[in-house]
Amino acid sequence: MAVMADSAAVPEEARPGPQAPLRERGGGDQAPVKQRRISFRVRLRRDKSLLVMVIPTMLVLLVFNYLPMFGTVSAFEYYDPIYGFFHSNFIGMQNFNQLFADSAFWHAFQNTLVLSLVQLILYFPVPIALAILLNTVLSTKLRSFIQAVVYLPHFFSWVLVITIFNQMLGGAGLLNQFLRQHHMATWDIMTNGGMFKYLITFQAVWKEAGWGIIVFLAALAAIDPALYESAAVDGAGRWRRMWHITLPGMRGMIVLMLVLRLGNALNVGFEQMLIQRQAVGPQHAEVLDTFAYYYGVTGNNFGYGAAAGLFKGVISLILIYAANKAAHRLGEDGLYRK
Amino acid sequence: MSSTTAFTRRGFLSASAAVGGAIAATPLLAACGNSAGKGGASTKQGIQAVLPTYKPLTGGATPDFPSVTGAAGAITNPGFLKYPTTLPKTVTGKVGSGGTYTGVAPSWNPIPPASNSYYDAVNKAIGATFKSQPGNGNTYSTIIPPLIAANKLPDWLQVPGWMVSTFNIGGLVGTKLADLTPYLGGDAVLEYPNLAAIPTGGWQCGVWNNRLYGIPCHTDGMGTAGAIFYRKDVLDAKGITPAVKTAADYKALGQELNDPKGGVWAFEDSRVYLYQVFKVPLGNWYLDGGKVKTAYDHPQLLECLNFCADLAKAGLIHPDSLAGVQASNPSRFNAGKTLIEGGGLGAWNDGDAKTGIAAKPGYLRQAFPLFSHDGSTPTVTLTGSSGWVSYLNKDLNPDQIKECLRIANYFAAPFGSYEYNLINFGVEGVHYTMSPDGPVRTAEGSNTAADQIYNFFGSAQQQLYNAGYPDITKANAEWYADAVKYATPQLFRNLNITVPDQYSKIAAGTEVEDAANAVARGKQPMSHYQDAVATWKSAGGDALATWYQANVVDKGLA
Repeated sequence: MAVMADSAAVPEEARPGPQAPLRERGGGDQAPVKQRRISFRVRLRRDKSLLVMVIPTMLVLLVFNYLPMFGTVSAFEYYDPIYGFFHSNFIGMQNFNQLFADSAFWHAFQNTLVLSLVQLILYFPVPIALAILLNTVLSTKLRSFIQAVVYLPHFFSWVLVITIFNQMLGGAGLLNQFLRQHHMATWDIMTNGGMFKYLITFQAVWKEAGWGIIVFLAALAAIDPALYESAAVDGAGRWRRMWHITLPGMRGMIVLMLVLRLGNALNVGFEQMLIQRQAVGPQHAEVLDTFAYYYGVTGNNFGYGAAAGLFKGVISLILIYAANKAAHRLGEDGLYRK
Repeated sequence: MSSTTAFTRRGFLSASAAVGGAIAATPLLAACGNSAGKGGASTKQGIQAVLPTYKPLTGGATPDFPSVTGAAGAITNPGFLKYPTTLPKTVTGKVGSGGTYTGVAPSWNPIPPASNSYYDAVNKAIGATFKSQPGNGNTYSTIIPPLIAANKLPDWLQVPGWMVSTFNIGGLVGTKLADLTPYLGGDAVLEYPNLAAIPTGGWQCGVWNNRLYGIPCHTDGMGTAGAIFYRKDVLDAKGITPAVKTAADYKALGQELNDPKGGVWAFEDSRVYLYQVFKVPLGNWYLDGGKVKTAYDHPQLLECLNFCADLAKAGLIHPDSLAGVQASNPSRFNAGKTLIEGGGLGAWNDGDAKTGIAAKPGYLRQAFPLFSHDGSTPTVTLTGSSGWVSYLNKDLNPDQIKECLRIANYFAAPFGSYEYNLINFGVEGVHYTMSPDGPVRTAEGSNTAADQIYNFFGSAQQQLYNAGYPDITKANAEWYADAVKYATPQLFRNLNITVPDQYSKIAAGTEVEDAANAVARGKQPMSHYQDAVATWKSAGGDALATWYQANVVDKGLA
């Protein structure tokens, strides 16, 4: 959300504010001139209250996001918490050499990409569809009720969500005990490695899709109802209105969310994997984050874990840059307006 | 790091049975962690030169089950059915000289108020101010490194065996932790009779680089990897008297008990506890003709994995256990959803009985007598003698160190002594009342004296005693008396070894343990495990074996 706020702010500064043309028009006798660049001082005076408001956020970013980045130096060390960053043995690229020769690492990388792709295809459209459906509910009471119900799972922790799934679908859960007691074959859901990618996507949908509709509902609310009315008058049916009004109205938001999603593609859910890693085994559930945890933190091998984390960070940066570029090529805003 | 400093049963008394079982598995799995520096170990002569003289105490309470000496120097801990009625004093003369010391130790209990009547009573008895600062046991491994990094170590620090590598004790001894050799080495320890009565194996866990640094706590005469337990109450009700002598018997019993439709499975996933049944060398390494070899590709380990996979595929293991889903308070075993589980001996105590009885009246845990996979003579592996070692800060001056050692001597008073009673239960009438089963804590005692924190700074050799459950003590003592005959020490037992940095990833063996789990749970074929071991060996496992050979074995340490 912070990025969205930024993206909304940047265009305001980059192009002349709505006041500028008004003022120019108000000048009356002046001939229309090429837009003048507003001087830094003027802009500073104009935006000073906004700038003051942004300071706390900048501080939080600095302290919690930028300062810890110095910790990446541990990726080039045999990092030992007792000796700290300055006194641990510096070993250059050795952690990376070991990492890139480690088949477990590439396996985790591959899992991450596959899980991310499956989640992108199966999860991403769900909140959009839900938002459109919910938008068609006219009764505000019913709508608020549904919204409350679908938001709720977002506030559950992953431990709780997976426990619920296990109680329902696990080997000794409700479903399988029912099947067993009725002399039917049991259905291995929670520990089936092949199905794992669908299982975690289903869990993600169950937990997060409701919460994900918020931004899309906001986009829908911004569409002028008069467009629907005139389209209806012109004889457009439900589908045509959705195709020609609703979806174009949401397009900017969908692209923005897609860009953000791609930047986040390598974050496929640390807790979710950590909790279920034992159930399906690392060959299916090991992702870059759990790799860094198991081989770095629990193995007391912080430098190695940091190297894996840094690699992931670099790839994510490339992904988000590429996605943003693609969005601009398609004429969308992406993270910010060009 | 420490490949051998393992756990004692005592530590699990405060944790739940399930947690205890989980921790108990760790010494089998944990390999050596890393530490900055080039690594190294003590020498045989060096260790002998600094070890304190062992001198058992005379007098004191008479155990109902005296210690039994068995193979490989193992001595069972004495067992007491009843709490002694007369409580003789073991410490005479002045203890403290008015100093103030802070002590940090893990606690798995609610933390008492910083100042309370129990602390006051102990401080009065020791003639000094001992400020106990318990840290949450579950996050202890993250609490201490910042203290170390900030050079804010307390005067007295407890280091559980499995955190030795996390805290890099190998790097701290001598620089931040005090060398106790001049005060305790050889006959010097006789100045502290209760400390001199701690078995030698415990002291060995406190030796680093040929000097004595640590004070062993909860020293166990016969630390073992664990046993396999069954629900005796349930089997009795079914009229089954188990006679498990082989792995086949074990499986057959499981098939008889298994009732998935009723929601009851025979087994928990007990791979690491079955290693002992299959005579797999524990501690990841073993000697073969004088050569260090990894236990990862030991033929018995492969056979054990096959057996485990067989149990899993036959549907005899609880699905949640196969899925790695933990349950505690009550565990599946406590709740009767599984009937047979492996676990540390620490799981077999009064606390477990209380949890189990709360889940089902009549709950009774019993261990199978030791057996082997093929019916041959079984073995039981001796793990580290002390999993809890306390260290003093190097900034203390010699007089302060002596004062702390006198306090440690007080804390190490044996079961049934006046001092033990005060340290563990407080003052009669205030913190406890005496019942036929021993001290029963009052509300004040439960709030202040229940965490038994002082024993993390010094404690006598362990004993078996379960207040109100003499049958458990009896069964426990009998199991030990039988098992001690078959004791064999694991390689590198009681040795503190610092493995060089470049082997730290290899020593952790994460990928091999993962593969072993996958095979034992029937999810992957044996080749999956063998591939993982082959990769591990070529990526540094073989080199690590060579390092151990040169730096530990060839120096005559193992």
